[in-house]
Amino acid sequence: MHIDLKREIKESSAGKTGLVILLIMVSIATLAPLIAPYDPCQQSISSLLSPSLSHWLGTNQVGQDIWSRLVFGARTSLLVGFGVGIVSTLLATIFGVSAALVGGLYDKVVMRVVDAFIVIPMVIVVILVAAYLKPSILILMLLLSLLGWQGGARILRAQALSLREKGHIAAARSFGAHRFYIARRHIVPDLGPILVVDFIYSIRRAVFMEAGLAFMGITDPTVVSWGMMMRDALSFSYLDIWQWWLIPTGVALSLTIVGLTFIGYAAEPVIEPRLRGAEVA
Amino acid sequence: MNLIVPFKIERKMLSKRNLVTYTIAFLLILALNFLLPRMMPGDPLTAIYGDEALIAMTPEFKAHLIERFALDQPLWNQFGAYLLALFQGELGYSYYYSAPVSAVILGRLPWTLLLVGTSLLLSTLLGIVLGIESGWRRGSKTDRALLTGLMSLNGFPDFFLGMVLLIIFGVTLHVFPLAGALTPYAGLSGLPLVLDVLRHLFLPVAALTLTYLAGTYLLTRNTMITVLREPYMLTARAKGLTQRVLKYRHAGRNSMLPVVTRTGIRVGRVVTGALFTELVFAYPGVGCLTYEALLTRDYPVIQGVFLIVAIFVLLANFVVDLFYPRLDPRVNSAY
Repeated sequence: MHIDLKREIKESSAGKTGLVILLIMVSIATLAPLIAPYDPCQQSISSLLSPSLSHWLGTNQVGQDIWSRLVFGARTSLLVGFGVGIVSTLLATIFGVSAALVGGLYDKVVMRVVDAFIVIPMVIVVILVAAYLKPSILILMLLLSLLGWQGGARILRAQALSLREKGHIAAARSFGAHRFYIARRHIVPDLGPILVVDFIYSIRRAVFMEAGLAFMGITDPTVVSWGMMMRDALSFSYLDIWQWWLIPTGVALSLTIVGLTFIGYAAEPVIEPRLRGAEVA
Repeated sequence: MNLIVPFKIERKMLSKRNLVTYTIAFLLILALNFLLPRMMPGDPLTAIYGDEALIAMTPEFKAHLIERFALDQPLWNQFGAYLLALFQGELGYSYYYSAPVSAVILGRLPWTLLLVGTSLLLSTLLGIVLGIESGWRRGSKTDRALLTGLMSLNGFPDFFLGMVLLIIFGVTLHVFPLAGALTPYAGLSGLPLVLDVLRHLFLPVAALTLTYLAGTYLLTRNTMITVLREPYMLTARAKGLTQRVLKYRHAGRNSMLPVVTRTGIRVGRVVTGALFTELVFAYPGVGCLTYEALLTRDYPVIQGVFLIVAIFVLLANFVVDLFYPRLDPRVNSAY
C-alpha cells in the first residue's frame, strides 16, 4: 500500500483548510507567552470588564484577562491532544500489529478485549474514575490514552493481516526473518498513512474529551482550559459577557476540532480506498 | 470516532463472538465499579459512601453495611456480597437524596429516554435521507454544501452547539425556556402540560439531533457511494426501474446497513452527547444527575449511573445484533 498521504491531504481543499487551522493553533500554543499580554492566572480586582484596548476580550469573574486565557488554553488542549495521540497510537500499533502477526489465541483474546472496550462509552468510565482520582493533567492524559486506542488497533490489525500476505514479507520470512523484525522493518513502515489517520483522530477525541471534562468541572482547576472557561462563561449567560467570553472560546475549540476533522477526512481514503474520488471538496 | 472501517460481511460467527464481547464488557464494568472504591486508601465505607454520608450514618447502620458488603472480609468474599446485592436489584443508598439509588435514577431516566429517543429517531431518519440524497448526486452543489456543512457541524463540541442554541433562542430571542423540563409549580395538567414539556424539549432535542446527525449522514453517504458502483446497481438500472426505486430501495437500503452495524461505536457519541446536552440545558435527566452527584461526591449515585448506562448500552448493541439479519438477509445465509 504505497499511498502518498501528503498528496492525499494537500489535494483536497478540506485537508488544506484543516492543516492551516491546525498550524495556526500550534503556533499560538507554542508562542503563547509572547502573544498573551497578561499572565493567564493573574487575578485582579477589575473583574467582568467589557472588551477594551488593554483587555481585548475583557476580564472574567476574578479579573483574569480572557484573551490571555484563550491563548494559553490552546496549550492545554494541544498538549493533551498530542500526548494522548502519541500514546494511544503507540498502543494501537503494538496491540493491532502483534495480534495480526502472532494470531491464534492471543489474537482472539486481544480482539475480544478491544471489542469490549469499544462497546463501553469512554465518557462514563472517565467520569467514574475521575470521581475517585481527581485527575491531574498527566493522569487525565494516561486515562484518555488507555481508553482510546482500541478502535485504531482494530483497523491496524486488519491492515497488518493483509500486509502479511504480501510478496515482500513472504520473502523476508523465507530468509528467516524474525516476527519482530518483520513487524519493525516491513509492516509498521507500510502502515504509516493509517497511523497518521489514527493519530489525528486520537488527537481530536482527546481535545474534545479534555474540554468536555473540564466543562463538567472534573479536571484540575488550576490548569487554564477552554472547557473550564466555557463552563464559567455559561454561568454568566444572563450578562452580555457571553459575546466576548463564551463565543470566542467555543469558536477556538470548535475550529481546532473542525481542523482535525478535515485533515482526518481528507486522509480517510487511505483507510477506505473505495472512497477515492468520493471526496468532492 | 467516525473512522470508516472497510465494511464487509464479517458476521459469520456473529452471535457467539458478540456474546463473548458483551460478557467481557460486562465483567470489565463490574470489576471497575467494584474495585475502584475498594482500592482507594482509607476506609472502604468512606470511598463507597462519601464523607458526608458517614457522618449522617448511625453506628448500627454502619455495622449493617459492613456486614452486608462483607467489608471486613477478603476481597473475594466482598465481590460475592457485591454481586448478591446487585442481583437483588440493590444499587446502594444515596444520602444526598435520602432515597435508594435505584429510585433516584429511575426518577430521572424517563427524561433522558424522551430526550435521547426523540433525537436519535430524528437524526437517524434525517441523516439517512440526507446521506442517500447526497451520495446519489455526489459532486453536485447540494452534495458539496451538505458535506462541508455537516462535517463542520461534526467538529462542533456537543456542549458548544447547545450553548449557541441556548443563547440565540433562549437568552436573546426569549422563544424557548432556558432550563429544565417543566415550568416549576405551574400545576399544569392535560394538554397544557404536554405543550409545556414539548416547549422545554425543543432546544435540547434540536441540539442533540444536530450532534448525532453528522455521524449518520457521513456513514450513509460514504456507503452510498461505494454501493452505487456495485454491479447490481447497473442491473437494476438496466431493468428500467425508476430513479426513486433505484435510489431508495436498491442503493438506499444497503447504505443504511453500516448505520445499524456500527451502533456499538456510535453509542459513545450518543451517551456523551446526551450528557453534555442535559448539562447545558439543565435538563433533569440522568446526565444532570451524574453532574450533581459529582459535585456532591454522591458516590453511590455515580456508581449506579455508571452501571445502568453501561448495561443499557450493552443491551442496545445486543438488540441491534438480533434485528440485523432482518435488514441484511445475507447474514442469515451465513449461518
